[in-house]
Amino acid sequence: MALLEVKNLTVEFGSEDRPFRAVDNVSYSVDRGEVLGIVGESGSGKSVSSLAVMGLIDFPGRVTADSLTFDGQDLLTMSPGKRRAITGKDIGMIFQDPMSALNPCFTVEAQIMEALKVHEGGSKKERRERTLDLLNQVGIPDPKSRMTAYPHQLSGGMSQRIVIAMAIACNPRLLIADEPTTALDVTIQAQIIDLLLKLQDDSDMALILITHDLALVSEAADRIQVMYAGQLFESGPADSIFAAPRHPYTQALLEALPERSEGHDRLRTIPGVVPGQYDRPAGCLLAPRCRYANDRCVVERPDVGAYNGRDVRCFYPLDDHGQPTGQTTGETV
Amino acid sequence: MSFLDTKPGVPLLESDDLVRHYEVSRGLGKPSAMVKALDGVSFTLEAKKTLAVVGESGCGKSTLGRQLTLIEKPSAGGLKINGEAVGDLSDKEAKLFRRTVQMIFQNPYGSLNPRKKVGQILGEPVLLNMDLGRKEREERVRETMAKVGLRPEFYGRYPHMFSGGQRQRIAIARALILEPKVIVADEPVSALDVSVQAQVLNLMMDLQEEMNVAYVFISHDLSVVRHIADDIMVMYLGRVAEKGPTEEIFAKPLHPYTRALLASAPKIDPAHRVKAEPLKGELPSPINPPSGCAFHKRCPFATDHCAQVRPELRMYEGREVACHRVEEIA
Repeated sequence: MALLEVKNLTVEFGSEDRPFRAVDNVSYSVDRGEVLGIVGESGSGKSVSSLAVMGLIDFPGRVTADSLTFDGQDLLTMSPGKRRAITGKDIGMIFQDPMSALNPCFTVEAQIMEALKVHEGGSKKERRERTLDLLNQVGIPDPKSRMTAYPHQLSGGMSQRIVIAMAIACNPRLLIADEPTTALDVTIQAQIIDLLLKLQDDSDMALILITHDLALVSEAADRIQVMYAGQLFESGPADSIFAAPRHPYTQALLEALPERSEGHDRLRTIPGVVPGQYDRPAGCLLAPRCRYANDRCVVERPDVGAYNGRDVRCFYPLDDHGQPTGQTTGETV
Repeated sequence: MSFLDTKPGVPLLESDDLVRHYEVSRGLGKPSAMVKALDGVSFTLEAKKTLAVVGESGCGKSTLGRQLTLIEKPSAGGLKINGEAVGDLSDKEAKLFRRTVQMIFQNPYGSLNPRKKVGQILGEPVLLNMDLGRKEREERVRETMAKVGLRPEFYGRYPHMFSGGQRQRIAIARALILEPKVIVADEPVSALDVSVQAQVLNLMMDLQEEMNVAYVFISHDLSVVRHIADDIMVMYLGRVAEKGPTEEIFAKPLHPYTRALLASAPKIDPAHRVKAEPLKGELPSPINPPSGCAFHKRCPFATDHCAQVRPELRMYEGREVACHRVEEIA
């Protein structure tokens, strides 16, 4: 059984009669020791879906799902107290901007020890020792003197290491990293991703890596899930999904990358923008921007179906030559 | 306006050993420290060319941009715009030159005044710098909007009504409206999504073709730089580490820092990936830079010599590199 199993997760905001669906019937699962990459442009619902898993969507947001199970327990039906004991301990989270994820008023030591105090208890001395261990583990030079440092005294890369130390303090079994390196330089990004993958590998932890950087997930993840406007558009193994995209959106995203258009003067673009709350198309959400869209795509909304070992939300998934000829089956992989 | 006409054989922008130091206070009673944000940078830029400036944050990229746009005066060194030295100009004279070098900022959400309509935002530079009547001004604004792909009915709209990509188009229009020779673009696409990023990059290349502007393209995204730039200047702690034509640098990076930068950038295509140890440590503080080569503490090839003597930029294989050991490691 998968460690985290999400079935038809939907997150809605706004009024009951005209809700805005930030996440629309998204299903996925993560296993122990697996790295799942979630990619998408801004507004694709990738962050909101992970906040929903963490239970961080407050009123007036509404989270519904057929099931949201972690290690066999349903997170949605359990008591709030029980859920709080799981989030933060068994599920850790790393946020995008390390500078704002840390409290500027407290020392590094105090902030990491707080997480330990809530979930593990123990004497102050033990907690302090564990904190020192953690700082060593995340590769902070001279950890003893950094214990009493305030966040403003640390660089971006160093702050992100502290945030990671905090997230893994209670040995989580699932770590959700939401754009962990977007605010950092490439050289530091490489260090942080290496660190995350090493921690993941050492403790057989599951890792969900959320990012907009296609190249980054393609290197780091085992499985990749492409999201668009709150919907899952394509998911499959990392090594094949970018080599042979089955969904027109994945194909178009890849072609828009400068790396893919070497020697060309112009980049291929995707016209238009991601639909917002008020301009959602009636049919397929990509239809106005899709180069293959036909009459059926404009009026009818496709479901996720299996095609060549992938889950694809498209009436006409692409074949090996990148042409829209295939047909999905009703089942998912 | 004769001094602004392009002169054949004269580079548009010529920087000679440009230096910018900032004095920072370290608290009561302590002597103030000197931050060498820019420590001797030289380059030339021709019309219709793009020079990319890459490096980690804190390496002086943006400080360089501020000197080139005459927002600040350099502490030392010479800067020539269109062959005219602009180091010691009075404010009035500097204003004339500012027209020729315009800037696009990183974050289109922060660089547009939310209380002004697009027409006002774009009209302001014209109002301040050109002697045009109201009608002509509006016409010019509308022309420029059309050039960057903004519809004329957007004239009376406020910035919040636009998406990120459209806002960046407004910012580009604002930089273009005075018909500058050089545009300094400070991370113009890093706040945008992949699909929108491609639109903006295409627009910038089209405009270069059409208006013969030169770009100083400040960026940390190497795949974008590879696509748009003719030349690359890699900076480290206020100094140039390597400088040369884009394709040559990507084909065979010479400086160990350039190599590390290229290796750290993730690639989609497994065939493009470079297996390398990630760079250890972080950019040292420019207040207290390491002795000798500023990079020696993170460099896998460093020797004692590197720790003592600062390498100067020198020619090697048609490129400028600041490394003692370039012959051995290349």
